[in-house]
Amino acid sequence: MIFQILLIAFAFFALAITTKQYRRRKVSLYWYILWTLLWLAVIIVALLPQATDPLAQLVGVERGADLLVYIAIVVLAYGLYRVLVRLEKVQKEITEVVRKVAIDKVQEPKKDE
Amino acid sequence: MKTVAIIPAYNEESRVADAVRDASCFVDHVVVVDDCSYDQTFDEAYSSGAYALRHVLNRGQGAALQTGTSFALKNLNPDVIVHFDADGQMQGRDIPKMIDLLSNSDVDVVLGSRFLHGCPDMPLSRKITLKLAIIFTLVVSGIKLSDAHCGFRILSKSAAKRICITRDRMAHASEILDLIKVNRLKYTECPVDIKYSDETLAKGQSSLGAITIVKDLIKSKFFDV
Repeated sequence: MIFQILLIAFAFFALAITTKQYRRRKVSLYWYILWTLLWLAVIIVALLPQATDPLAQLVGVERGADLLVYIAIVVLAYGLYRVLVRLEKVQKEITEVVRKVAIDKVQEPKKDE
Repeated sequence: MKTVAIIPAYNEESRVADAVRDASCFVDHVVVVDDCSYDQTFDEAYSSGAYALRHVLNRGQGAALQTGTSFALKNLNPDVIVHFDADGQMQGRDIPKMIDLLSNSDVDVVLGSRFLHGCPDMPLSRKITLKLAIIFTLVVSGIKLSDAHCGFRILSKSAAKRICITRDRMAHASEILDLIKVNRLKYTECPVDIKYSDETLAKGQSSLGAITIVKDLIKSKFFDV
């Protein structure tokens, strides 16, 4: 019971933050809708945990809560992979910029030496 | 034949000038890439007569080597690129015989080797790490060498164009060997003389750095973008 309340409270908190960020144009409408749907889903599942059981049994998992944990792990792992790939790309882009600046600002040796 | 030495340097203000002067006795131009040192490396390099380039952020030795190579290929029209070190461990007088090897045979790359003729004076832990690196290189890149991570290299212009280093940090040494294999470049080894001092050993790669290199390489196989 306590966990349900905490989870719902956190979901509302997250919703508020996302809305605030969207109003300040820090996140795009696309991500705002996606995040909002996610947190609304979290609230619904927290209120009615049994609601996901039929879906779970359909795919051969006993409890809805278990199914959610499995899905969460897969989604998080994939998200982490995407972030790491993106990070690597950003690192390479930084190096490219640093390289360009270095080449443009070369100090050539004095000719009389 | 126009020769250009590339010297990546990070916090080497006390040694970089000597390295530049040593190298410039044997090559036409010296390019120093200061990898965002917090000491006077850049000024020392410039006043000792090198082309001085500066990374505004620290990007690692591999990145610095590639910056110097890109600069040289773009502006200095070199026939031969020499990878040299800023810390005075490498000896400039090894350069001519390596260049001779390159010009008198049909190889594209000459790799310096510390083990080709006997074994240099170095700590046992370093020796073991380097031997493991040789086995690692044979397994991963399929290249059999007597010394896999010397860092002293001579590249022909066409080889330098094809070997584009993307591993910014220390894994670039293994990456270069990989690229030699992938591009089917001809290579040979040449014995070089490396002087170890307590000072340079303290600053150079620790043997534990090998773990980082392996980690970097594994990462590059999975996260290549």
